[in-house]
Amino acid sequence: MRILLVEDDASLAAGLQDALGREGFVVNHVACGQQALAAVRAETPDIMVLDLGLPDIDGLQLLAQVRQRDEHVPVMVLTARGGLDDKIAGLDSGADDYLAKPFDMMELAARLRVFERRLSSAVTSIIIIGEVELDTSAHSVQVAGEKIDLPRREYMLLKTLMESAGKVLTRESLENRLYSWGEEVASNALEVHIHHLRKKLPDNHIKTVRGIGYTVARK
Amino acid sequence: MNSIRSSLVTMLIAAFSLVTFLAALNGYLSSMAEAERLMDTQLLHAGQLLLGFGQKEDSVVAVQYGGDEFAYQLWRGDRLIFRSSTAPEEPINDLVSGFRYSNFAGYRWRTLTQPGQGDSWYIVAERADLRHMLAENVVLESILPLLLWLPVSAILIWVLVGLGLRPLRDLSAQINLKRSDDLDAVHYDDPPAELVQLIDSTNSLLARLSAAFEREKHFAAHAAHELRTPLSVLKVHLHNLAGELPAGHSGLAHANAGVARMHHLVEQILDLNRTNPEIIKGNFRRLELHSLAQRVTAAAWPAFSRKQQDLSLNGEPVQMYGDEMMLEILLQNLLDNANKYTPEGGNIAVTVSLVEGKPRLVIEDSGPGVSPEDQALVFQRFYRASDHAASSQTGSGLGLAIVQHIVQLHNAEIHLGSSEILSGLAVTIDFEPGGSEAVQ
Repeated sequence: MRILLVEDDASLAAGLQDALGREGFVVNHVACGQQALAAVRAETPDIMVLDLGLPDIDGLQLLAQVRQRDEHVPVMVLTARGGLDDKIAGLDSGADDYLAKPFDMMELAARLRVFERRLSSAVTSIIIIGEVELDTSAHSVQVAGEKIDLPRREYMLLKTLMESAGKVLTRESLENRLYSWGEEVASNALEVHIHHLRKKLPDNHIKTVRGIGYTVARK
Repeated sequence: MNSIRSSLVTMLIAAFSLVTFLAALNGYLSSMAEAERLMDTQLLHAGQLLLGFGQKEDSVVAVQYGGDEFAYQLWRGDRLIFRSSTAPEEPINDLVSGFRYSNFAGYRWRTLTQPGQGDSWYIVAERADLRHMLAENVVLESILPLLLWLPVSAILIWVLVGLGLRPLRDLSAQINLKRSDDLDAVHYDDPPAELVQLIDSTNSLLARLSAAFEREKHFAAHAAHELRTPLSVLKVHLHNLAGELPAGHSGLAHANAGVARMHHLVEQILDLNRTNPEIIKGNFRRLELHSLAQRVTAAAWPAFSRKQQDLSLNGEPVQMYGDEMMLEILLQNLLDNANKYTPEGGNIAVTVSLVEGKPRLVIEDSGPGVSPEDQALVFQRFYRASDHAASSQTGSGLGLAIVQHIVQLHNAEIHLGSSEILSGLAVTIDFEPGGSEAVQ
């Protein structure tokens, strides 16, 4: 995947080029807004990684100009402005994702891979935690090598939890994923799904964090 | 305290009294001299009258005279022709013309000796003490009122000085009414010339102060902001180095930990500024505290999971008015502390409840707690618990200062105590009641 890196800090740019190169990305680097516009015009990159603090054009303005030309190029914004308002402004002007400096290299690479997955349609993604193996492209689940059948909501629930392994998901956020707006949800519906899932999965695969939500531990 | 009015009044009254006394004394002395001159003139007239009588007389006659305050003698050569009964038979004075004093008949007299026709002389005398008393009575009558009215002038001075100082009083009242954070210029319509300079200086001082305060307010935030890019540089290069060094390289781990600490400190400084009640007003809205706590505890959970700590959330949905982002930062910081100071495998409980109509948030842990001596200090910036259990922890020491800011912003009350259930620290925050009415 070809990444256009727009970053005026030379040392940071060199480090990013190096790090992203190791992750298998092809990185083109430009140091200012004008060069970035020229580069986008010459050949649209698969994704643009944009630092908002540029010497010539304000990053958000550049973003707007790129959007005018090509609506589809995904843009990941990096910025030293970290406030919530800045985040909203960035997303409003058409950024697809947003990372505040100083960011974690792993985090940046992971998010870029999400874009990569979206770009390539035929990607299989298998999440394996313990004895549970979840294939997000085939929508199938195997426990200790044996395929099990899960109803749609239970599958969605397990997928959500396993994708966020190591994190706690609150009842509210799980319900939001499982049910659409305005859909009638029985107050204990989530507990019922969890209860059924647990019967089909190894012990302690889904843990309850009292008062907070549920988690699948990262093994 | 020393007051301009009192000292002005005191000085004015003292000066006024002194001048009055000096004027009175001067008046007294010159009036006395004038009276003396008048009486001497009378004495001279009396003498000339007497001379007319005494022209033909040859024998010594003692003339009875009604008063004892007057005496006279008429001499021809060294013969006494007549005298008043009050006068002696010897010459009252040497026969040399002029005004003089002399003593006879047990009193002191003012005498006038004048030559008549031929070798005759007359001497007229008036009792000096009586003359003096008379003159003094007249003079004092005119001077005394001046002294008696002195208290009245004191009262007048007091009132007038008060009136004169009124612009100064008004100005100081206006400055006094300013709130501590109000650095706007002082306004005074049509100020007296003496105050113009003072008002100008005060306003220019306020303007400079306000500019300095403004810079100061944002300095830390700007500085912290500027640190974000170099920190990113460090992180990226450390990440790249990790790929080249053998796994588990201890120097790299230390470097990473150092960068993480610096990152944390930068964010805490930014939060400290972002939550400063002197700078921001807060974006208050109705919110539900329990679900907010659920979000924050869920996000914080991985850190607790790493230390095998049991984090739980109890309580019920509670509506309140607050700034959602600020409350998230508040709970995050308290959870950070609980996570840091509670040993591995410990318990941390967050409780949201409604106590006497007030939303209450409690964070309890099974850690070492905070000693009563430390409880007041922990809210200071950069303060770190001094006991050994805590000193192994790395933190910015800004967490509770941030918490304090947010508590102030919400007009809430924070209390540190011991947890009854978990025996560690219990941080209790009582918010203002209100699901519907606005705070502030």
